[in-house]
This record gives sequence, structure tokens and C-alpha cells, in this order.
Amino acid sequence: MMTGLGSTMVRAGRRLLSSLPALFGVLVFTFLLMRVLPGDPAVFFASGPNAGKEEIEQIRKQMGLDRSVPEQLVYYLSDIGHGNLGRSMMTGQPVLKDLRERLPASLELTFTALLIALVAAVPLGVLAALRPGSIVDHGVRLFCALGVCVPTFVSGLLLIYVFYYLLGLAPDPTGRIDVFTSLPPQRTGFLSIDFLLGGDIDGWWAACKQLILPAVSMALFVIAPLARITRASMLVSLGSDFVRTARSVGLSWRKVVVTYALRNAILPVITIAGIVFSTMLGANVLVEKVFSWPGVASYALDALLSSDYAPVQGFVLLMASLFVLVNLAVDICYGIADPRVSIE
Amino acid sequence: MRFVSFRPASCAIAAVALLFAATAPSQAQTRAETLRYVTGASVNTLDPNIPGATRESFALSMSTYDRLVAFGRKQLNGKWVFDLDKITGELAESYDVSPDGLKITFRLRKDAKFQDGSPVTAEDVKWSLDRCVTAPILGKAQLLTGSLTSADQFKVIDPLTIEVTLPKPDKLALPNLATVYPMIINSKVAKAHATTDDPWATAWLKEHTAGSGAYVVESFKPGEQVILKRDEAWNRGSPQKPAFFKRVIVQSVPEPATRANLVERGDADIVIDLQASDVQSLEAKGKLKVISTPQYNAITYVSMNNQIPPFDNVNVRRAIAFALPYDDMFKAALFGRGAPLFGATWPDGKPLNGTYPFQQPVKIDLDKAREYLKAAGLPEGFSTTFSFNVGQASTAEPMAALVKESLGKIGIKVDIQKLPDAQMSTQINEKKLPFFTEGIVAWLPSTDYFYRNFYTGNQRWNYSSTNNSELAAIAQEARFEPDKAKYEEDGRKLNAMHADLMPQIMLWQPNQDAVMVPSIEGYTYEFHRQVDYRDVSRK
Repeated sequence: MMTGLGSTMVRAGRRLLSSLPALFGVLVFTFLLMRVLPGDPAVFFASGPNAGKEEIEQIRKQMGLDRSVPEQLVYYLSDIGHGNLGRSMMTGQPVLKDLRERLPASLELTFTALLIALVAAVPLGVLAALRPGSIVDHGVRLFCALGVCVPTFVSGLLLIYVFYYLLGLAPDPTGRIDVFTSLPPQRTGFLSIDFLLGGDIDGWWAACKQLILPAVSMALFVIAPLARITRASMLVSLGSDFVRTARSVGLSWRKVVVTYALRNAILPVITIAGIVFSTMLGANVLVEKVFSWPGVASYALDALLSSDYAPVQGFVLLMASLFVLVNLAVDICYGIADPRVSIE
Repeated sequence: MRFVSFRPASCAIAAVALLFAATAPSQAQTRAETLRYVTGASVNTLDPNIPGATRESFALSMSTYDRLVAFGRKQLNGKWVFDLDKITGELAESYDVSPDGLKITFRLRKDAKFQDGSPVTAEDVKWSLDRCVTAPILGKAQLLTGSLTSADQFKVIDPLTIEVTLPKPDKLALPNLATVYPMIINSKVAKAHATTDDPWATAWLKEHTAGSGAYVVESFKPGEQVILKRDEAWNRGSPQKPAFFKRVIVQSVPEPATRANLVERGDADIVIDLQASDVQSLEAKGKLKVISTPQYNAITYVSMNNQIPPFDNVNVRRAIAFALPYDDMFKAALFGRGAPLFGATWPDGKPLNGTYPFQQPVKIDLDKAREYLKAAGLPEGFSTTFSFNVGQASTAEPMAALVKESLGKIGIKVDIQKLPDAQMSTQINEKKLPFFTEGIVAWLPSTDYFYRNFYTGNQRWNYSSTNNSELAAIAQEARFEPDKAKYEEDGRKLNAMHADLMPQIMLWQPNQDAVMVPSIEGYTYEFHRQVDYRDVSRK
């Protein structure tokens, strides 16, 4: 058993190493891409009512844009090597600090949304697969189609309108915590966990209430791929020989569906869940905007609009690294779900 | 893998609803004493002098720092606005201008203290003003417009008296000291955090405050929110007592619809950057107080680059000016919320007065436009692009469509170009856009200031790239003109030239729509176009 775990770790480490060239490529590519974009950040940020040539030059110098592009790249890479991602003009803070503060917000939202989506999608997919072509199957299909059709910001605004504006049940959609609630001591950065660690149940509940609406509107959007994949792979699995055998020996319905069929059908769902998670993290910008969620995606979008190079580069690097980690986690999950799979 | 029982979607939503209902909204007791201000922008520095500082940062610094003097306020059509002509003391108890206008002497309040309890001295004032004109910060370019350029101009007479010397009697010197940048900093604290690379402590002051303002920064999360606490000892307001609200929360809420919901439900107290359509519907509902003030120091233009053909031809510019559907644009872009700068009638063809901006004698007249095009030698029209930035899309997009449609009727083919904000400002700065819409704002709106800054020189704010030596000379002369009648005459001359040369077309001054819960009082339109938290109180 230990050797099994050990070899998995070794393999994981090797995988991680082999992803380094890709990360480096992403780094250089983003760097060059940002320089090719036609906006000049110095002009944009020198926007005081009297800012003239002198101010623009000064900001250019401050951002290091007065040097040639290859020179800038060398400086940038050496900064990265020292763990310095540069400074954001927008917030005036080091990018690393901004990302460190905002990443937990995005992760908390994305994890919750993914959890909600999985909890809803897997049973939906299983149900649809159990009675293909029935009303239930069509119902699930309709629900999924609606979920995908409605963009997240529309469903977000609708949820706000109903639960906050009309019913007054949800708290105001302004970030992770009600402005009048004091924050727990920072440990993980996940507010729901920090409140629990701090033993503050009221605070925990306040944080959860803020989290529900954005997480649901994000989940609605990703239920469809997860449910469809579950259905498809359940259909294959339910039609296979081992399920027929299990049925014929008179095993309980539950045992047949859950233990045999679902366990075998879950592999593609894990793969898709991994991909969905990575996409959600970067693509939840609209939800973050609608709910004033202080996450990394809305941060990157604002930076992109104002051609603030450092945060965009930092964000892309972060996303690339996360993608590598998520893929690794997915591979490891494979091994747990199906011991025959190795990640070599 | 455990089996999770299936819940229909409706059940899930009902469950969510029940969860929310389970706990009543927890409202802090001090809610009435707290001002919650929501905005689409954000505060990015505590020192407004840092290049890249946002407008919200300007507003914040008004409350965290004091200046020597402040603008008074006046009523304009029943609404409170800042008064450029009435300058009152803030840290200065009184000031004297010498008869020749070359010396201004400020006497400081004896009871003024910084937030750390130390007294405000003339030394602090000198250090702060020196910083403003010497350090590589935004204040330098601003104070330049008031002939304040060197540290030698500020002299400490005694611990409570400071004297400012001017090379010329500049009307804008005193008003400049009331703007955002020349804030008075606690020099002892700032010097303690200065380094050899950064002798003016710009890095430290970006994230800390050392002022004597009405509010102390309690927490500052750049891009998210700032929480301010009242300084109980502050007495520089008009009734000589601390600001009304004990706490101020400045919170960034990027989505305008959400901001509208927040203020409508009473969760936010005041907001100034809603979409025009939301303001209109909120006003119609009548539950909230809406104070709309035309931003009389801001102007929206349709600009033409006077150096790029065919816009270098005055008749082309005139043709455009008579081919724009002004009324439709005004309704589509702003729902008519603003002060129009078109459609005037000049009986004898001369300007009605010498103030800028003025209502231009233009209206849509396609026949006239065609004649001008013919006179320009382009009877068949031409093709061009019309640009606006994404940040302005909600107003500029409908406007651009109308411009395209109307110009199409006289043969001018327009391609609409929507540019990201940074790209737009870059192209304007490089003078590459032939035809576009943009806005400007002037903190100190006097006629000569507008003409000097927005119609001369090869610089960003000269949108039309006007290069007219006569115009520049008159504006420069007007700057130091002490005689009011002569100044007015100069203004009329400039306005007549503007109407004739039509370097760019003034469209309107958009309204600042401040929407607030009915209990909020005292809102004043300030020169920095933000809410001054010290102005407002709760009934």
C-alpha cells in the first residue's frame, strides 16, 4: 500500500516537473501579448485633470516601460524568480498580495459552486439514464438546456432580483461578507472555514448567506455538462455485462446502480469536473462582477481593460499553475476511482 | 461514493429561501450613524497625489486631509454646488491678499490638530506645499496652473503664519490651494517614513494617512472598500463641529443594477454613478431623493482632429456641426439628463456672453451641411471612423449609431470604432483619432483655463489638436487680466472664434445624478465630482 502511494507521489512529482516548460511558455507568451496590445497603460493611468507628458513619462518609468521589450522580459523573469510579480497600478498593491487576498475568494466560490453542481448534476444524470426517453429524461434535458442558455450574469441578476430585491431574503449582494460584520482572524482565507475555526457561528452563517446566490448562479451554468456526461456514461455502464449479471443475481437496486454502475461511470465525470473547475475559476468574472465578489477574475478583467500589465500576467501565470494542479488532482482521483488507471 | 438523494430544482430553491428566512437581517445599531456610499469605481491610494489615483481617492482625501482653504457652496437652480468665487479658510483661520496680488498670507487656526494629536504648524504647511511642487506627483501640474511652481514661494513667518509669493497676480493661485492635491500632511510623521530614494514619503503615504481631516481611515482594502471613523476633535466644518456621520463605508459595487437595488432597498445611503435609465425609473417611483446637477465643470464633445484631412478643412467641421441630430442624441444617450450646449440663437451672430462652455448656435440642418460639404470640395462626402471608449459605451453607443445614421444622409460614411479605455486614451494622446467623442473636466472652470488647457498645445487634452496662435494669445492674455470687463470681452472673442472655427462640437454637460435615501441631507456637487462625506448628514 505504502509503495503504491509512494510511487503515485513520484509520478505526480514527475508530472509536475514536466509541466514547467509549458508554464514558462505561458509566461513569455502572455508577456509578449500584453506588449503587443495597442493600449499604453502609462497614458491611461496619467489621467488626472492636468496630467501631461511629464506624468506619462514618469509612469512609464515607474512601470519599467521605458526599457526595450527584451530588457523588460529579462527583468520580469528575474523578478518572477525572486517571487515578485510586480505591482498593480490599479490597486497600487503588489500583485502577489492582491492575488493572495483574492484567490481564496474565487476558490471558495468556485468550490461551493462545483459542489452544488455535482450534488445536483450526478443524481439528475443518473435519473435520466435510468429511464432514457421518459418524461424525467426530457425534463432533465430541458433543465440543462435552460441552465446553459441563460448566461451567468442574467441568472445572477435574476436571483438578486427575486431573493434580495423582491423577497428581501438574501443579504445585499456586495461581496463576501456584510459590511457590518467583523472579519474572523485570517487562517485559510476561506471565510466559511475561518469563521468556524474562530468559533463564530453567526459570522459563519453571514458568510454562507453571501455565498449561496453567486454559487447557485455559477452552478446552474455548469450543471448541464456534468449531468449530460453522467447520463451518457451511466447509459454505457448500465448496459454492460457486469450490471446485467448483478441484476440477474438479484442484488438490490441500490447496490446495482450506485456501487456497480455509478462507480464505473464516474471517471469521465471526474475529468469533466476538473475541466469545469478550471474554466469556472477564470470564467466566473461575470458572477464576480454582479455580486461584487472580490475575486481574481474580476481583478484580471479590470486590469486588462486598463492595460495594467503586471496583474494580467500574474493572473495568467496563476491560472496556468492551477490548471496543472487541477489536472494532477484529477489524475490522482482517477487512481482512487479506478485502481487500474495509472498516471504514467 | 455515497448516493445522494435527488431533490427537484424547485425544492432546492425553496430550501434556499427557507435558509435565508431562518435568520433575520442583522443590522448594527449604529446604522443611522453610518454612511454607506457605494460606487462602481474604487479607492486605490490614500494619497491622491500618486499618479494613477482614481477619482474616489480624490474624494476620500478631502475627508482624511485638510487644506489651507476650501471652496464655499452656493445654490444653483435650487441645488447646492461648490462656489469657485467664495474661498473660506479650512486650516487657515484667515488669509490676506496683498493689494498688488503678489502675496497671500495665511494665519493658521490655533486649535487645529493632526489626527495623532500634534498641532498643525506652518512648518507642516510648508513641507506639504513644497512636496506638492517638488516631488514627482500629480499636484505639480495642477499647482502650475496657479503660478505655484517652486518651494521658494512658500515662506514660514511664524509657527502659525505662512506667506505665499506669486510671480504674477494669478487669479487661480488661491483656488488651486483648495483643490485635492495641496493637502496638509503631518511632516514629522511623513519625514520619519521618508527614505533617501523617496524623500517625500510617497510610498508610505500611499497606504497610510497623516493628516488633520474629519475622518480617520479605519480599514483600507484597495479595490474593495474603505471604512472611515470620525475624528471627534475635528472642527473645520462650517458649524465648527465634527462631521455628522460617525462612520463612513465606501464600498465598490461594480454592477450598476446592483447599486440601484441597494439604494432602493435602503441598504446603501447614497450613490452617484447609476445608469441614466435606472435614475429615471427610481425618480419616477418617487421613494428616493434624486438630486441632478449639471456637471458645470465638465463637457462632452464630438471632437475632430483639426490636423487630419478632411477635418483640417473648416467647412467639413461646420458641415458635421450642422448634421448631428442633437436632440435625439441627447435623449438616447442621457435621457435628456443634463444641460444641452447646442441649439442657441445668436440674434446678431455674436456670442451672448464671455463664459465657456456656452450654448452653440448649431442645430441639425442637413441642407446647410450639404452646402458646407460642397464648399469644402467634398460634395460626395467621404469615409471616416467614429471612436468611443468601452467605459462610456452606455451613453456613447446609442449616440454613435445616431451620428452614423445622420451623417450617412449627407454622404459621410462612418465606421463605428469601440476601443478599450487604455487604447482610446493612447490614441488620443498620439493624435491618431480623426473623429470621436470624449469628455473633459476642469476643477477650476474659468474661461481662460478651458481655452488654455483644451485648445492649445500638442498635448492630450487638446482633443481637436487646435493650433491657432491668435486663440492661444488671447487666452494667455486673459489669464492675468485683472479687469473683469476686459476679461469678459476676451471671453466673447474666444467664443466667437470657437463658433466660427468649430474645432470641436460641444454637446452637453451631463448631470451628476446623486440618488440617496430620503433621510440624507446636505449633498453638494463638488469640483471633484464626488460626494464629500463631510457635507452630508441624516435627518
